Amino acid sequence: MSEKDIIICRCEEVTYSELKETARKFQCTPRELKLRTRAGMGYCGGRTCRNAVDSIALESTERNESQISLKYQPPIRPVSFGKLGEVIE
Amino acid sequence: MSQRIINHPVLGKLDESQTITFTFNDVEYSALQNESIAAALLANGIRTLRHHEESGSPRGIYCNIGHCFECRVTVDGVQGERACLTPLTQGMKVVSGGKLQTDVRDWRANHGK
Repeated sequence: MSEKDIIICRCEEVTYSELKETARKFQCTPRELKLRTRAGMGYCGGRTCRNAVDSIALESTERNESQISLKYQPPIRPVSFGKLGEVIE
Repeated sequence: MSQRIINHPVLGKLDESQTITFTFNDVEYSALQNESIAAALLANGIRTLRHHEESGSPRGIYCNIGHCFECRVTVDGVQGERACLTPLTQGMKVVSGGKLQTDVRDWRANHGK
């Protein structure tokens, strides 16, 4: 298990080298890195990998306050459409 | 029979009086009443609870406290139930999710990483 194939985002199986490569190539902000690699878009809502994606992106770019940071998006837990608006005859 | 912790220093003695049966992917297993699905399957020697929707890699218990959803299974037809939190009842039907037909990954290949 070399360093480069450490999985950072379990839900989307995004590896460390993929994130570093994308961040270096595009000089991404954290949000852009998420959009490019899908890291943080998985079922768990980015809880596991959010900080890692943030720090990897910020290694190559400055923290830009005007950018929306990676944060927890509602719903806090996955909600099925059935639970949201189930039609009960 | 299983590696269950019978005598836990904090939780005390495990109540093994009521055993129930449930099915996991149409195979019947026995477990203790109100045991979590993940624990019951682990006691039966099953660690793979589902396969990743995209790559098909086997997934199982990770956080075991209902936070990471790695253990999500379909219970009695309801998807996205957390095996680590759902207590077992008699005759529960548990089905694990697998690889989906169309994958998301080629989307990124076409758009250049």
